[in-house]
Amino acid sequence: MPWMALLMLLGVLALAPWWAAQQPFVLHMLVTACVLVVPAVGLNLMLGHGGLVSLGHMGFAGIGAYVAAVLMVDARWSFGGAVWAAMLAAGAAGGLISLLCFRFRGHFFMIVTLAFGLMLHAVMNNWDSVTRGAAGFAGIPRPTPVRWGDEVWSFGPLPHFYALALAMAVIAFALQYLVVNSNFGRSLAAIRQDERLARSRGVNTLLYKTAVFAIGTALAGMGGVLQVSFLRVAAPASFTMLESINMVLIVIIGGAGSLVGPALGALLYVALPELLRLSNEWRLVIFGVLLVLITLFAPKGLAGLCARAWRRVWPPQSQTPAGAKP
Amino acid sequence: MSYLRIQSLGKRYGGVVALDGVSLEIAGAGIYGLIGPNGAGKTTLFDCLAGTTAPDQGRVWLQDQDVTGWPAHRMARLGVARTFQECRILPEETCLDNVLFAAQPQGLGGNLLQMFTRGPGHRVAALDEAMRLLHLVRLQDHAHAPAAELSFGQRRLLEIVSTFMAQPEVLLLDEPASGVNPSLLQVLGDFVKTMMAERPRVMLLVEHNMAFVMDMAQDIIVMHQGQVLERGSPAQVQASAKVVEAYLG
Amino acid sequence: MTEALLEQVINGLMMGSVYVLVALGLVLIYGVMHVVNFAHGVLFTLGGYLGHFFFTQWWDNYWVATLLSMLSVGLVGYALERGVFRPLNGNLRNQVIASLGLILALENAVIALWGPNALQWKVASTEQLVSLGELRFSVHHLGIIVLTMAMITALGLFLKHTRFGTAIRATSQNQEAALVVGIPVQRVQWSTFALGSALAALGGCLVGPLFLVFPQMGDVPLVKGLAGILLGGMGSVPGAVVGGLILGVTESVSTLFLPTDYKDAIAFMVMVGILLFRPQGLWGQRVRGEE
Repeated sequence: MPWMALLMLLGVLALAPWWAAQQPFVLHMLVTACVLVVPAVGLNLMLGHGGLVSLGHMGFAGIGAYVAAVLMVDARWSFGGAVWAAMLAAGAAGGLISLLCFRFRGHFFMIVTLAFGLMLHAVMNNWDSVTRGAAGFAGIPRPTPVRWGDEVWSFGPLPHFYALALAMAVIAFALQYLVVNSNFGRSLAAIRQDERLARSRGVNTLLYKTAVFAIGTALAGMGGVLQVSFLRVAAPASFTMLESINMVLIVIIGGAGSLVGPALGALLYVALPELLRLSNEWRLVIFGVLLVLITLFAPKGLAGLCARAWRRVWPPQSQTPAGAKP
Repeated sequence: MSYLRIQSLGKRYGGVVALDGVSLEIAGAGIYGLIGPNGAGKTTLFDCLAGTTAPDQGRVWLQDQDVTGWPAHRMARLGVARTFQECRILPEETCLDNVLFAAQPQGLGGNLLQMFTRGPGHRVAALDEAMRLLHLVRLQDHAHAPAAELSFGQRRLLEIVSTFMAQPEVLLLDEPASGVNPSLLQVLGDFVKTMMAERPRVMLLVEHNMAFVMDMAQDIIVMHQGQVLERGSPAQVQASAKVVEAYLG
Repeated sequence: MTEALLEQVINGLMMGSVYVLVALGLVLIYGVMHVVNFAHGVLFTLGGYLGHFFFTQWWDNYWVATLLSMLSVGLVGYALERGVFRPLNGNLRNQVIASLGLILALENAVIALWGPNALQWKVASTEQLVSLGELRFSVHHLGIIVLTMAMITALGLFLKHTRFGTAIRATSQNQEAALVVGIPVQRVQWSTFALGSALAALGGCLVGPLFLVFPQMGDVPLVKGLAGILLGGMGSVPGAVVGGLILGVTESVSTLFLPTDYKDAIAFMVMVGILLFRPQGLWGQRVRGEE
């Protein structure tokens, strides 16, 4: 049943270039949402499913962004190749760094991920010869135009780039679905709920946690490439500690651990300033307060609230035979 | 050739000596009770056998393979399964999923591949057996309810069912009767006896409930202050003056 | 060469003192409530802004402004403890998430209210100079070191020799036992939170006149403070002091050998390096088993 809703939503989004034709800023917003949602899905896998709270996630998006920037601009690679390389670099970095981080627990783990995020940012900001430093890496191209027979599909125009962004977002969600509804996903869920128990059932928890961290950071890298190809510039300011915190916020408000959570969080994040007509700062104040309220009163986030509302409108068919727990 | 051999196992936590040279041989399948006053080292012994912790001294052999200090997940793959004193289950999963998880292959490589191949896999094959086991402990009605909704005694049953589901060769049950009311205790005892009759294997049972353990086990090992104090049949152990003194002295 | 070294050591002690103030607040709160308040940095920032506000709008006495700022931020800390952290007691992840939300809300509220640009806080002590041999430092520089040392001593005496200080220590060691003995744990918790917040505000007021008052001024001290308590050992007050000072001196001295751009990263690399060999920090205790 949720499949129907999902397909409808996808259809609406896919047709956006037509119904939003008169308001290009809507398409711009949707592209931004896609750019945010890809790393958010990665963080959702790590945090929501695996229970790993990483406060340095955008540092890995930065790795992907800058690897792609250097490859596309300095080495003239294609977008496709750059995406693979970016994901590989970000994923490998994430896997290795996570091995260090897993020596710590609880708060310590979070603080160490924060520290790594800051170290990565420092490199982006200061390794001028490669990253062009604080001024940013300009001149990043849109993906090269694709040829279909006689047609040439260029990614310059917004609707065309939107198609690419939407496709990448869908791929990220597909990957999330594959992970969650699999043995790997179930083992992750077990690790999140009770790591000692998972170990006693034969799960090599260190390997599994490293694997999900690597997958999550690879997705962050993918998001980074999409972002800098969209903006045509890579700047360290996009990958700071505050951006990593924004990412956590998107995942939590959307509903950590739910499949649609990242989408809800990202859409709210981009739509709120438009809906409320507020300055950037007040929007973020509201987000911050929203995050606090959600942790206090609705820990499952928007997805949890929607699920509750859904159940009120369409009560589920009872799956258990008579005599189920009241 | 003994099935399980423990030699001079030692373990200390800071200033506390939990195990002080424990040597033990388990010849073959059967239920072995492990009793002793608090602080005797019973749970620590389990921790060392199951790989939860590594001993400071001594060696452990499982069927002539030296498994000393192997981590928990390797011991589990070797067929050593345990329950916990505090009772651990997956609270967010349904009872059925809890049981099925115990039968799930856990190799990372295989599971990463399975994400994409998505074969029907173990869940279909194990479903009948899982439901049968849930029936045996009268939890079949809760099969699709989250485990968090169960009472404590029911969670103990779920934990034990899951442990058997993994088809282990060695079972370590840590105080399975504690916190369980008498009617559920009967169900638990019957379930264990049924499973052991279907397929005999080595089971070590730590318990404080004397009636329960004397009824279940044919061989009782008594521990005291980190060492093995006495070993024998239930009757012999109950009659032993040393044991009485250890508990009361 | 030794002169340059001495200069950096003193700079390091000064910055280290600021980190210590942040770290002390963090470690006191952690000890009593087992929560890391990531929003501590914005309390530092708020302290700086309020100090500047009181100084420019009410009474241009630096000490009064600082004191008022500490009181106000202490009140904010109390409100946060009652409203946010107490209800989430026991849920580590949600407490951390909530504190992240607070960072966002407070830091952006500051920007919305005072604007994104830095403010100047002109205080006399930053202009008066003192000579130490060939080197010259402002009174403010040295004052920070002296004041922090005095604070640490006062805090140490307070914790060791007063009833309330002992109550704080007892609650840090074992909350349940403290309750059983009749210690008003809830009161200990909110007052420690308020005290820790006030210390953060003090840090902001000390640093404001030196480096300008700007919205992100608390971000780096927060992370350095966190690094300091990790290095010193979670929950250890002397550890926090030593950790903060080591970090401050290390990063200042590192500027003699490495490009200053990487100064911030140095601190983290040192921290991660030491923690790899001693995960419990320099003073910390290894906790048995449980994760």
